[in-house]
Amino acid sequence: MLRIGRVARRRSWMLGSAMVALGATAAGAQDKPFEGVEVNIMTFTGPQIAEPLQRRAPDFNALTGAQVNVITVPFSDLYTRLLTDWAAGTNSIDAGVFAPQWMVDYVQGGYLEDLTDRVAQDEALQTDDIAPFFREFSQQFGGRTYMITLDGDFQMVYYRKDVLDELGLEPPRTWDDYLAIAEAAHGKDMNGDGQGDYGSCISKKRSAQAYWAITSIAGAFVQSQGTDQGAFFTTDEEMAPLVDNPGFRRALEVYDQTTQYGPPDEINLDVGDTRSLFVGGRCMLTLDWGDIGTLAIDPDTSVVQDKVGAVPLPGSPEVLDRETMELVACDEQTCPHAVDGINHAPFAAFGGWSGGINAAADDQVKDAAYAFISYMSQPEQANEDVTIGRTGFNPYRLSQLEDLSLWTKAGMSEEAAKDYLGAIKASLDSPNMVLDLRIPQNQRYQQVVLDTAIARLLADELSIDETMATIRDGWNELNEELGTEEQLEAYRAALGIQ
Amino acid sequence: MSAPAGTIRVHAPQPSLLGRLFEPRALGRPAPLARILVYGGLLAWALVVLFPMYWLLVTSLKLPIDVNEGPKYLPFVDFAPSLHAWQYLLVDMRNDTLRPYLNSVITASVSTLLAVAIGSMAAYALSRIAYRPRLGSILVFVLCLAAAVLAMVALGLPWWLAATVGLALFYLVVRALGHRFRKSLGNGDILFWMISQRILPPVVTALPIYVMFQRLGLLDTHVALIVTYATVNLPIVVWLMYDFFASVPVDLEESAQIDGASRYRTFFDIVLPLARPGLAATGLLVLVLAWNEYLLALFLSSANAQTMPLLVAAQNATRGPQWWYMSVLIVLMILPVIMIALALQRFFTRGLLLGAVKG
Amino acid sequence: MAEPGEDSRRAGVAEWLDRRASAVFIMPAVLVILAFSIFPLLISLYLSLARFRLAPGGYELRFAGVANYKKLLLGSEQWHFLGRFGALSALDWLVVIGVVGGLGWWLARYLARGRVWLPGLAGRLVFALLVGALVVLAAATVGEGVSLGSLSTTLVYVAVGCFVQFAIGLSLALLCVQPVHGRSFFRVVFFLPLMITPVGVAYAFRMLADMSKGPIAPLWNGLGLAEFAWAADPWLARLVVVVGDSWQWIPFIFIVMLAALESQPRDTVEAAELDGAGGWQIFRDITWPSIMPVAATVMLIRVIEAFKIIDLPNVLTNGGPGTATESLTLHAFVLWRTLDLGGSAAVAYMLLFVTVVMCVSFFNLIVLPYRERQA
Repeated sequence: MLRIGRVARRRSWMLGSAMVALGATAAGAQDKPFEGVEVNIMTFTGPQIAEPLQRRAPDFNALTGAQVNVITVPFSDLYTRLLTDWAAGTNSIDAGVFAPQWMVDYVQGGYLEDLTDRVAQDEALQTDDIAPFFREFSQQFGGRTYMITLDGDFQMVYYRKDVLDELGLEPPRTWDDYLAIAEAAHGKDMNGDGQGDYGSCISKKRSAQAYWAITSIAGAFVQSQGTDQGAFFTTDEEMAPLVDNPGFRRALEVYDQTTQYGPPDEINLDVGDTRSLFVGGRCMLTLDWGDIGTLAIDPDTSVVQDKVGAVPLPGSPEVLDRETMELVACDEQTCPHAVDGINHAPFAAFGGWSGGINAAADDQVKDAAYAFISYMSQPEQANEDVTIGRTGFNPYRLSQLEDLSLWTKAGMSEEAAKDYLGAIKASLDSPNMVLDLRIPQNQRYQQVVLDTAIARLLADELSIDETMATIRDGWNELNEELGTEEQLEAYRAALGIQ
Repeated sequence: MSAPAGTIRVHAPQPSLLGRLFEPRALGRPAPLARILVYGGLLAWALVVLFPMYWLLVTSLKLPIDVNEGPKYLPFVDFAPSLHAWQYLLVDMRNDTLRPYLNSVITASVSTLLAVAIGSMAAYALSRIAYRPRLGSILVFVLCLAAAVLAMVALGLPWWLAATVGLALFYLVVRALGHRFRKSLGNGDILFWMISQRILPPVVTALPIYVMFQRLGLLDTHVALIVTYATVNLPIVVWLMYDFFASVPVDLEESAQIDGASRYRTFFDIVLPLARPGLAATGLLVLVLAWNEYLLALFLSSANAQTMPLLVAAQNATRGPQWWYMSVLIVLMILPVIMIALALQRFFTRGLLLGAVKG
Repeated sequence: MAEPGEDSRRAGVAEWLDRRASAVFIMPAVLVILAFSIFPLLISLYLSLARFRLAPGGYELRFAGVANYKKLLLGSEQWHFLGRFGALSALDWLVVIGVVGGLGWWLARYLARGRVWLPGLAGRLVFALLVGALVVLAAATVGEGVSLGSLSTTLVYVAVGCFVQFAIGLSLALLCVQPVHGRSFFRVVFFLPLMITPVGVAYAFRMLADMSKGPIAPLWNGLGLAEFAWAADPWLARLVVVVGDSWQWIPFIFIVMLAALESQPRDTVEAAELDGAGGWQIFRDITWPSIMPVAATVMLIRVIEAFKIIDLPNVLTNGGPGTATESLTLHAFVLWRTLDLGGSAAVAYMLLFVTVVMCVSFFNLIVLPYRERQA
């Protein structure tokens, strides 16, 4: 989970040699272009995301003279803090590393600097190496680039290979498989400490990062015709929430049922808690971003090295027919992208932490901020950072997915690396990836309405029907308040529909 | 043997063992059992108080894996203590830890001085001078203020224009109608109004204060926090110091005034020195409140003026709170306050006592 | 030698200042409080009547009347603010009728006194109406299949928390006033929790209450509760919040009550002991009446602060399970975080209303009479 100083220092000699290489190609080591320039960059509290920024800031300083201050705030406050700082004109924050989802609000307010030209001229960034999904969806809005990807985010299912073999089962391909495996494994002692362990550990804490899990499950039921079909609303002028249908109901049932096979306080567990449970050997299955792959090989925190397998998100043999709003079996028409008759919809949850720059900052500060973010994303730095679990950076470059040596050097066995990267590649290659919600004030849709309703469902305050109705009514109310037409326009723009 | 006439013989029964356990040894000294219970209760609560702090201290010395693997109580016995968290925060991240720390020190101390200065002056005045603000004037003032606010928010007038117009309006109205206002309020009402400001939940005023500072361009500065903290804690100073001043006899001041000293002289040279215990107690209380304040700092600062409570909260990474760093920061926050409290301890009980009891 | 003109000018200024002393002493405090209380209050009021929206170049505020309040009391946020209602059982009806009846009788008694002061009557009426409404709310939202809203949860924190804190704080003070060794040690130690920033206390308690790796976990598991999570039960979660809050605030009550107890004259107590009075009698007849005014004052301060609780529920459970531990301040904060500024201001104003009524009533009905009785 976390490394101690000596590991970071062990890494820094590798960094040092990379630095020399970079320094040689940089425009003259004596010439410090940003001497005396201070950049305030805000992100949420580390170590994930903040740690690599903080670690590399001194190196960047040595290289360019710019002083980078990394300000961290709790995750749930980040969106508002950036917005109020920029909307109110305070402008203490020069740049931020945040979710591409929020790009909509910031771009509409005119707060983000348009980076299209800079990126076009930036050879060191190697934009072509960035996977197309991230390049097109995470970095751009309305055809212009506003952000630079530092991290590739989407959710997968991880499992204990050894326990699975013991049970004689196959890795889950559908959500019913997932539940069956969880049930079979629940209560077994999986880490040899004499205590029974858990079938499925999914973070379900309110106001944390739990609310993406439900979409990870629902996507397979609700979206089958490709990314631009969208998984949150219909794309006609009704913009009806896709929550009041048998597909979403099935997803809620699955989600609710996983709690039975989880730790008793699962609804109070943060993503960090479930990760430490999994790498501590106490879970059979988990649903998470790419971090588990790299955390599992960390000898300081993990007892499951080489025992972890990864698969793309399980799918469903039945999908929602948008005409009839009923579940129908998968065939060539209903599931054109199905794999072996099962519809998968990998979910690019959150999109992946990316860097954006305040358009109202001084020009020199903007240049320095851009240089820093580009520096962080360049393969020399990024390819190392994505192999360290603590950084929270997950693979997003094609070179990171092809080059196995990066991963074996980091301590992954070749088999584990192939498995892990294979799952990521399979997700990235899927034409049916679910794009995260990207409409103005999407925070209110997901973090308020969806998250609260799910929390109440898990607390047994609402039944499944009531939950669906609550989300549907809440989203409709927001659409009305913010203007359905504008929201629909943004929704279609994000999906690339003209 | 017979006693002298006139004396009253008291016949005390021989105490049994049980009786001796329950009976006081002497007047004012409790029975043995009572003493055991008293000590037991005190020690039990001391344990309750100290255990969380012990846990914080111990956690700051643990490696992540030691924290995650379940409760480990004793350093060197259950786990090997490590200074990694301390090193990370105080050496590696030196600037990012020092900046909030200095900010906290500056904002807390300056705002305390300000609050105590303004507050004790006001408290002294309220305890010595009889004020008679007219109710009518006050109502007119509030109305004019409301009109100014409305003009600013709904019509978009710049704040200085709205304020000037509002003040001018107020002045004119009071000039014209002032003599009509009969009912006056007294010192007690003013005092109550000041103290009642404390009832205001910060969340009500946080956003407008944010907007106010934003208009003035003072967001994320020390000034904003200092002024806000001074204001928020002013009612407490007034409350406690008022009771204190009210209990100080006026004779000294009266004789000084007969000798021709001005109010200011009397206050600074005679009354204040007498009030040292009260000032110390109040000052410490206000310092602690300002040092530990979180919500307003959250609203009003982002990068440059970030204070320690914000840094503590920021250790809550969404992918898992980092207990070891958090514990170090909390311990760092407690230490100076404890030292100041110990230094001022002898003033404290007496000061608060006089303040609250005489109410 | 200074010019006589200069001297007289300086004297003139000094004199002018001296004449204005009464204003100079008090105006800074008045102005500062006006600027930072009345002014924000009015703006907040306006915000609660408006809808906030992001727009290119900044933001816009659209006047929306009482829409935000309607949403809280009658609309889609009613379950969040007031709770979910169910039918009132027979017991509920008994309690409601009892309380409402009691309030009515109390008001009638006040009216019967003859010389009725209008503001006093208005105040009592508002208080009675609010308490009555809250009792009905409690009856309708406590039980099976229904849930409390943030309003009721906050009141639970205030009522239960303050009661527990007063009981324990007073007991500790009574223990510490005995002639025991190390009294100053205990005094200092007991005061420590108040020194820690509330956010820090909240995180410390989250660590302590973690039943998988916290220090109490072995005890918890030993009691057979390994599969039971306090964070999943609404009332247990609230209890944990109250425990954390009490841990932090008992020192405050302890210190003040200790000072009050120490200021008691020993002679009366010794005389009573000589007369053979038992401990309880002494407490009831001598000690308690003399510390009552202090107790009332300190509890008023505590109640005022208790309404503002936010750090503990936020950190311990993020307001969960569901929204069971959300206090009003946390509710407003959550709304602010997603830029529903109008809604946030509306919740904040409701909190202000309840706090003002409760605290002013407490002050007028309990604190003042005790002070008068003492004086």
